[in-house]
Amino acid sequence: MEKIISYENLTKLVDGIIQSGHIAIGQDEKGINWKRLNDAKELKINYASVPSNLSYKEFLFTKTEPVFYFRNNKDNFNLIEPKPEINENSKIVFLGAKPCDSRSIEIMSKVFNWDYKDKFFNQRAVQSIVIGTACNYQDEFCFCTSVGLSPVSEKGSDIFLVPLDDKNFAVKIISEKGKEFIAPYLNLLADENISLDKIIVGIKAPEKKFDTAKVKEWVTNNFEHKIFDDAGATCLSCGQCAFACPVCHCFDIVDEECDYTCGRRMKNWDACQFGLFTLHGSGHNPRETHGKRYRQRVAHKFKYYHDKFDEILCTGCGRCSRGCPAGIDIACVVTNINTVANQA
Amino acid sequence: MCNNIYKPELMEVTEIIDETVDTKTFRLKLKDEEVAKNFSFKAGQFGEYGVFGEGESTFCIASSPTRSDYIECSFKHVGKVTTALRRLSVGDTIGFRGPYGNYFPVEEMKGKNVLFIAGGIGLAPVRCVIWNTLDLRDQFKDITIVYGARSVQDLVYKRELEEWKSMKDIKTVVTVDPGGETPDWKDEIGFVPAIVEKISPKSENTVAIVCGPPIMIKFTIPVLLKLGFSEDNIITTLENRMKCGLGKCGRCNVGNVYVCKDGPVFTYTQLKELPQEY
Amino acid sequence: MNELREKARELLQSGTVKVIIGYAQGTTPLHTKPIIIRFAEDSDKLVMNKYCVNNLSVYLTRKEFKGNGTVGIVAKGCDVKSIVQLIQENQVNKDDLYIIGVNCNGAVSELGKEFSAETVATKCLHCMVRTPHLYHTLIGTQEELPKRADTNFEMLQKLEAMTPDEKWNFWEAEFEKCVKCYACRQACPLCYCERCIADKSVPRWIESSAHTRGNIAWNIIRAFHLSGRCIGCNECERACPAGIPLSLLNRKMGMTAKKEFDYVAGMGLDTPTLVGTFDVKDNEDFIK
Repeated sequence: MEKIISYENLTKLVDGIIQSGHIAIGQDEKGINWKRLNDAKELKINYASVPSNLSYKEFLFTKTEPVFYFRNNKDNFNLIEPKPEINENSKIVFLGAKPCDSRSIEIMSKVFNWDYKDKFFNQRAVQSIVIGTACNYQDEFCFCTSVGLSPVSEKGSDIFLVPLDDKNFAVKIISEKGKEFIAPYLNLLADENISLDKIIVGIKAPEKKFDTAKVKEWVTNNFEHKIFDDAGATCLSCGQCAFACPVCHCFDIVDEECDYTCGRRMKNWDACQFGLFTLHGSGHNPRETHGKRYRQRVAHKFKYYHDKFDEILCTGCGRCSRGCPAGIDIACVVTNINTVANQA
Repeated sequence: MCNNIYKPELMEVTEIIDETVDTKTFRLKLKDEEVAKNFSFKAGQFGEYGVFGEGESTFCIASSPTRSDYIECSFKHVGKVTTALRRLSVGDTIGFRGPYGNYFPVEEMKGKNVLFIAGGIGLAPVRCVIWNTLDLRDQFKDITIVYGARSVQDLVYKRELEEWKSMKDIKTVVTVDPGGETPDWKDEIGFVPAIVEKISPKSENTVAIVCGPPIMIKFTIPVLLKLGFSEDNIITTLENRMKCGLGKCGRCNVGNVYVCKDGPVFTYTQLKELPQEY
Repeated sequence: MNELREKARELLQSGTVKVIIGYAQGTTPLHTKPIIIRFAEDSDKLVMNKYCVNNLSVYLTRKEFKGNGTVGIVAKGCDVKSIVQLIQENQVNKDDLYIIGVNCNGAVSELGKEFSAETVATKCLHCMVRTPHLYHTLIGTQEELPKRADTNFEMLQKLEAMTPDEKWNFWEAEFEKCVKCYACRQACPLCYCERCIADKSVPRWIESSAHTRGNIAWNIIRAFHLSGRCIGCNECERACPAGIPLSLLNRKMGMTAKKEFDYVAGMGLDTPTLVGTFDVKDNEDFIK
């Protein structure tokens, strides 16, 4: 016996979410980005189509946000704490997160919480409810299975949907948080006699392309290999890959004016592929070339982050590669590394 | 969860010293007395110094932790924030976040000889440890300071250099690069690595602290190794570009370390393990 | 394709060029990617098909290609437009270039989609340079180009019919999506400034934050900087992960340049650039 929910009832659930003052986050109509749903009718569970260009990272680690405001008061400065944009009692509900999206909170939490704790990220992470969905889409850019995930991975989801047909989903309640959240809406679920395991087994997974342990070992010992220069040769140094990535988390801190009397310090997305990212005041740039910057991208994802936080900084969604204007495919590069490592 | 790690404390500029044409030292005091009471740091740590409306910049704390009612920082004006800092006067307010990062192993250095080698503005982090050791002079054995700059004008902390030179229980050697001397220059002329080789300090039971431009460090380390220093006893600081100072923003990430959290102080042994991206 | 590979091999072997910037097969047959080859034996990696959408002239202004011998480049007519514009703006030396011109049969609007009448790129619909207007060697033969309605132009007309307030609301909503990844700038062959105004911090002309205010400043200023210069390759729009219709802005600017000054960017090697030239006869009645 499994719990199921119809698409219609799912819409009612979203209605309920919005009515109770929670924030419903779903994909936009073009499948480009995620947005706050104002109406349950806007709901789209894209379990069978390509991942959106951008992930929903923006709702956890925003593309720009003030960390405090400052006002000059004669001889002194008043530092003012920003008011959270989202009421702290509201839940932020991500609807239809694929397994390559739902892992993002756990992965990013590591860097935002070792020693110093980033309250801006944490606040949103605590408020978030991830309603994940099994993924019925795969293309040449997908590689979730290479980084320890799969189209049916429940990791990171609080509630997990498994599409049964166009109109119905099986509902698995994964976490305590999810259980608590769904409690008021249990009437929208129905019991059905199906074998969920059989359905899950039937969902096709992309082929595993590389072995992260092997890649990590090779990167450690072949830091100066020309593979990185080759991979980065045509890189345009735009930040598309980092900004579309569900787990890239580098940021910049800059001051700006709000108006004539008040200023604010902002925390903005930044990317290691930008030439100015590591430029010193002296003019020295430790990562001056595209190759070095591309190496940083690969090494940070598959080695450094794993060494430090025991997580691969990648969910295999393939967004960076699908969207790369220069056609650089990270899975190809890493698979290449794996091949070279095997030959060594 | 309510603590905002990006929000600085306010500090007042209480004294400004012009070190060179482009370098200044600020003495700073925390404005909030409660915060000041609980404030402490260790030699080698750094802070984020901010001018509201312009941004933040990263410098080490250049004063000694043994003198705890104030901190000092020295900076060269090169960018947006340092230019804004330069325009400040005594009595002005800046933001300060810190202290951040690891520190020199002053405790472990006790009972040993200490060799300080610094070039240019690299004397700032070293000065912090120098005063730290001098304030606890009887707990250390021989203390040697080798400091060099491009020219006489570029020497920082000039008054203190004179003070150290006049101290009987330490050895201080000041040098300028060839061509950087003035007609009445009486100290050494030569690059720092060459001067270190010339005075050839003993390596036995000695810790060497080396800070300065990358090129100086690059050529000084082989000299120290030749003199018999072990790689563990050669200590330096990395000065990567930083923003948050908290191990989050990713800017100072080199290999497995975030320089701002796992550094800035590294032994040569640790440095060798890192990719050459600093 | 063999023609291209043979030519590339010959050019590299003879030393006529030091390097060739071309296209290689991408992740799928419906994708290509830029490739930089330096050895004749790599010539077989080159491809030419309807999925060669990148404007490779973006690489020409890189330091590594300047003063390091002749650079060969595979270019469609539209790409040649930007090459000509770069020569006009003194960014590329004509004598250091070897253009392998391609008789173009259209490019797909979005990589990953099968080429068809529905997916042919907007810029191909009214293309005047299917045979490039400047080349050292020409390859390929022309086939008939599939036709479709120019929906981009229809949208432009719709925009023009709007009131200023409606226009503002339209663009405000579009620019709100911008994430400031600067992929538009980086993919643009004519955004070659050594230090972009968006990266200048003393003073900060454009806020780096990706809020609506900063985004509008960035996108409007970029459009201005490209007016009379943009050759309409639409690489910015293709690179934009947020799906902002940048081609509408650039196309409008191009149409204005044509209407007011009878100038089309990237067409005449010896034509003085529009914004770089003062002419007393210039029509100034647009300044009100």
